[in-house]
Amino acid sequence: MPCMKLQVEEVSQVFGSTAALAPTSLAVAEGEFISIVGPSGCGKSTLFNVVSGLIRPTTGRVLIDGIHVTGETGHVGYMLQKDLLLPWRTVTENIVLGAALHGRVRRRDRDEARALATRYGLAEFVDHFPHALSGGMRQRVALMRTLAFHKDLMLLDEPFGALDSQTRLRMQQWLLQVWGDLHRTIVFITHDVDEAIFLSDRVAVMSARPGSVREVFTIDLPRPRGFELLTSDVFTEIKRRVLELLYTETIQALASEPDVVGSGA
Amino acid sequence: MRKVAQVALPLAIVAALFVLWDIAIRVFDIPSYVVPTPRAVATTLKDDWSVLQPAMLTTIKEFVLGFAVGVAFGFGLAVLMAHSRVVNRGLYPLLIASQAVPVIAIAAALTIWLGFGLTPKIVIVALIVFFPVVVNVLDGLTNVDTDLVNLARAMGAKPFRIFVHMRLPATLTPLFSALKLAATFAVTGAVLGEWVASITPGLGTYLLEQNSRLNTAGVYAAILLLSAIGIAGFLAIAGIERLATPWRTRSTPRRLLPRRLSHDSRPVTTAEEGGP
Repeated sequence: MPCMKLQVEEVSQVFGSTAALAPTSLAVAEGEFISIVGPSGCGKSTLFNVVSGLIRPTTGRVLIDGIHVTGETGHVGYMLQKDLLLPWRTVTENIVLGAALHGRVRRRDRDEARALATRYGLAEFVDHFPHALSGGMRQRVALMRTLAFHKDLMLLDEPFGALDSQTRLRMQQWLLQVWGDLHRTIVFITHDVDEAIFLSDRVAVMSARPGSVREVFTIDLPRPRGFELLTSDVFTEIKRRVLELLYTETIQALASEPDVVGSGA
Repeated sequence: MRKVAQVALPLAIVAALFVLWDIAIRVFDIPSYVVPTPRAVATTLKDDWSVLQPAMLTTIKEFVLGFAVGVAFGFGLAVLMAHSRVVNRGLYPLLIASQAVPVIAIAAALTIWLGFGLTPKIVIVALIVFFPVVVNVLDGLTNVDTDLVNLARAMGAKPFRIFVHMRLPATLTPLFSALKLAATFAVTGAVLGEWVASITPGLGTYLLEQNSRLNTAGVYAAILLLSAIGIAGFLAIAGIERLATPWRTRSTPRRLLPRRLSHDSRPVTTAEEGGP
């Protein structure tokens, strides 16, 4: 096996008396786009927190480029559903946040940020504050901030979850373009099976809490992928298989919920 | 046009109040030792200006110095309290106690400790100002989105950098809310300080003096000037706020210099390079 970009080995996480993540293993190749889907509360985000080094797992280890980085931060790019742009920083200054957090922002960092923004259609907005931008634009800036952090491995946790469906489709196309341009490795969490299949080389389905990777589907669809793919027979067939597994897991997740009736909103 | 209306409307209302005041005195035949006419107050302002002007300067000095000390102390305390849970738990009750004690009672004690000069007034003003500053700045420092902090941590940022880039700027909005409140309270502090004892006569001293002489016009003149100080303080802070937090009112930052060309070779210094 060639050196993997990311290796998660038997990682598990227990918070107090709750098991959030059962021993989970996952290997991601250099340049790969892999999505993780699973029932709510299965520990997807916990897995990301472990990989990013924000929390130290109860057991297991994390390797990036074959190097042991368990519990260490600063090795991955990280992006959430919330754009988390700083309102007092302009688009350019938000993109260079990584550099700012490491001491100083150099001219070259700003030039790169402007170039990124220009390349991906935000040229007019480089000096705008985030509040002047639409949700989709803000999320693009958030991704540029992640790109400008210069980590080959990027963890995207439902980055388009809060966007309307049209913007979302455009953002998916754009993400594929960026991924093609910049040769990064992407691990992508989503609730949306269509999104997962459309974007990924592989889709990992997680089991109900405490979650672990139940099965990994290889998405053998040609790239570049267009919208027409979403309605093709091959796509529907893969989607059926993923949904079937996901549905079984979701039923289990609901069944193990202690008081579903009483906790209704 | 809208800007003109913004200024004109309150001015018109103030003018209308003065007119109402004048009419009320005539209609209800109020004696001048109870409420003076606006004209009498204006005359006093003019005739007594040689006394009023230095008195006003003294009060402004107490106001500005006390304000600065209060804000600096309050801000420092908030940072300290945000940093340590022990300090926070230990100091919060004291903080509230410091506001529960009537300022006038402290004022008397302060004169005994600090004499009759400027110092006790500065301390009283500071005492009034620092409380809203601590409370609001502490809120700003501690209410930063956990996800934001996690993002910075995931990027490998040290706590100090997170403080500088995420917590500190987040205090600006609540800080200015506190300062606007404090600007109006602070005048009260200065007047109280002068009332207790003073060898440096300010507007408060003047007001007491005229009151004992039943010179109501003089009292009103002092009141007008004191209000003017408070309003000016408020407006000054609102103005600074607009400059300090451009993202709240503008879509792009103000540029002191024309936008640099993309090919010039001189580095452009910005806030975080020149900052602490």
